[in-house]
Amino acid sequence: MNAADLSEGTDAKGRGPRLLFYLRLVAAQLAMSTLTALQYRLGFWTEGLLGLLWSVIGIAPLFVAVDHLGAVEGWGRWELVVLTGCFTMLSGLFTALLQPALRASMTHILKGTLDYVLLRPADGLVLCLTCAFQPWHLVEVLGGLALVVAGLSLGEAEVTATGLLAGLVTGAAGLMALYAFGVLVLCASFRALQLQALTHVMEALMDFGRWPAQVFPPLLRLLFTFVIPLLVMTSYPAEALLGRLSWGTVAQLAAVSATLLVLARLAWVRSVRGYTSASS
Amino acid sequence: MSQRAGQLARVTAAVWRISLAEAIAYRVSMLMWVLTTTFPLVSLALWSGLAASGPVGDYARPDFVAYFVAAFLIRQFTASWVVWELSGQIRSGDLNTLLMRPMSPMLYHAIQNLAALPIRCALALPIGGVVLALAGGLAWPNPGSLAALALSLALAWLLNLGVHVSIGCLAFWVTESTALFEVWLGLYLVLSGAAVPTSLYPAGLAEVVRALPFHASLGFPVELAIGRATGAAVTHGLALQALWVAAFGALAAVLWRRGVRAYEGVGT
Repeated sequence: MNAADLSEGTDAKGRGPRLLFYLRLVAAQLAMSTLTALQYRLGFWTEGLLGLLWSVIGIAPLFVAVDHLGAVEGWGRWELVVLTGCFTMLSGLFTALLQPALRASMTHILKGTLDYVLLRPADGLVLCLTCAFQPWHLVEVLGGLALVVAGLSLGEAEVTATGLLAGLVTGAAGLMALYAFGVLVLCASFRALQLQALTHVMEALMDFGRWPAQVFPPLLRLLFTFVIPLLVMTSYPAEALLGRLSWGTVAQLAAVSATLLVLARLAWVRSVRGYTSASS
Repeated sequence: MSQRAGQLARVTAAVWRISLAEAIAYRVSMLMWVLTTTFPLVSLALWSGLAASGPVGDYARPDFVAYFVAAFLIRQFTASWVVWELSGQIRSGDLNTLLMRPMSPMLYHAIQNLAALPIRCALALPIGGVVLALAGGLAWPNPGSLAALALSLALAWLLNLGVHVSIGCLAFWVTESTALFEVWLGLYLVLSGAAVPTSLYPAGLAEVVRALPFHASLGFPVELAIGRATGAAVTHGLALQALWVAAFGALAAVLWRRGVRAYEGVGT
C-alpha cells in the first residue's frame, strides 16, 4: 500500500490529478484487454451473442408463471421484460468486467504473482479489479438495454424523469454492491486458495436476480437485499424505472451499497496486510 | 481373452480408487460445485411461494416441494463434468498421458465421474433432507417403479456423459467448445425442468419440450421419482431416454475417433 503513496499521482498536488491518473490507468488496462479480445473475433459470437441468448432465454419460467397466474405478484408480462433487461445488463457487466478480473486476481494470489501487482505504483485493488476484461460480453449490456426500452414502450409504461433518475441511482448502487461483494470474495480467496469455484457460485446466485423481489419468502428477500444484494442490482432498478419505488427505499439501498463498499475496502486492506508472498 | 478382461478390471479398479481418493481430497471444492447446482432449490422457494394462494396448473405447493427436491438430488446423481476436463486436456496436450495408458480415455473419464458420485451424494443428501424437513413431504415411489427409476437414472447419467464427451471432443477442432457447452447449459436450465416443470409450458410447446434430450436427462426421472409418470408414460419416457443415449453415444464415438486422428498432441 505504501507504494501508492510514492506514485506519480500523489506527487502532483490535490485530488484532481490523482483521479486523472487512475482514470488514465483504468483506460490503459481496458484498452490492452480490448486489443487482445479483438484478436479473437469469434468471441463476438461465442461470448457476446450466446451470453445474450442465455440471459434472455431465462425469461421462459417467468412467462410460464404469468401464463398460469395472470401476473407474478403484480408484475405483468412487459414489466417482467423490463426486469429481464435489467438482469441482462447486470449479468453482462459482471461477466465482462468483474468475473475475469476476479479470476485473474485469484490466479495471482494462488501463484504468488500478486507481488508484482502490489509493487506497482498504484492502488493494488484498482489494479486487481481492472486486470482483465472481456469486451464481447458488453453485447449483453446493449441487449439488456434494448429489452428495457422495448419492455417500457410495449408495456406503455410512463417513465418520468424522477423515475429514470431513481432507476439510475439504484442501478449504480447495485453495481457498487456487486463490486463490493466481488472484493469480499477475492479477500476470502486469500485464506482458502481453491476458491476459483466461488465465482461460479456467484454466477449461479445471480440467477435469482431474474425474479421480482416480491416472489421471495421474507427471509430470502432480506438475505438477497442486505447480505448478497442481488435484488438491489436487478429487481429494485426495474421497479424504480416503473415508478414504483419511493425515494426512502432508494436511499436505503444506496446506504446498503455504501456500507458494503466500506466493508470490502477494509477487508481488502486487512487481507493484503496478512498476505505472505508465495512465490519467493 | 479372459486375461485381457481381467487386466482391464484391475486397471478399472485402480482408477476407481485413485478417483475416489481425489474426490475425498478436494471435498471443499466439490461442495462448491454441489452448491452451484442448487438452482432447483431456489426454483423451489419461488414456485412454492407462487403456489401459496392456489395451485399452478396441476402442481400444488407440496407437489413443487417434492418435484424440486427430487430434481436437485437427481441432478447430483447424474452429474458429469467431462467437458471441462476433456477440452482442457486436448488444448494443453495433457491428453497424451491418458492416451498412453492401458485403457480408453473415455472409460477413464466415465470411471472418474462414477467414483465421485458417492461423495457428491454424501454432500447432497443432507441438503435434500434438510429442505424436506423444512418444507415437508415427499411421496416415495412404490417399489415397483424403483426399478424403472434406477434404469432411468442410469440412462440419464449416460446421456449426460454422451453430451459432455460430444461437446468436449469439439475441442479437437475449435478452441471454444466450453462456450458451446455454456449454451447447452443455458438451454438445459430452462428446458430440462430445473427451473419449471416442463408440463407447465403451454400446450403444444410442452410436447415439443418434453421430446428434447434436456427433459430426458432430468425432467423425466424426476417425474418418475415423484410418481407423476405411470403406465404407458414410463415405457414411453424410458424409450425416449434410450433413444437419446444411443444418438449422443454414437455422436460421441464418431467425434472421438475422428478427433484422435486429427489430434496433434501438442498444446496450443
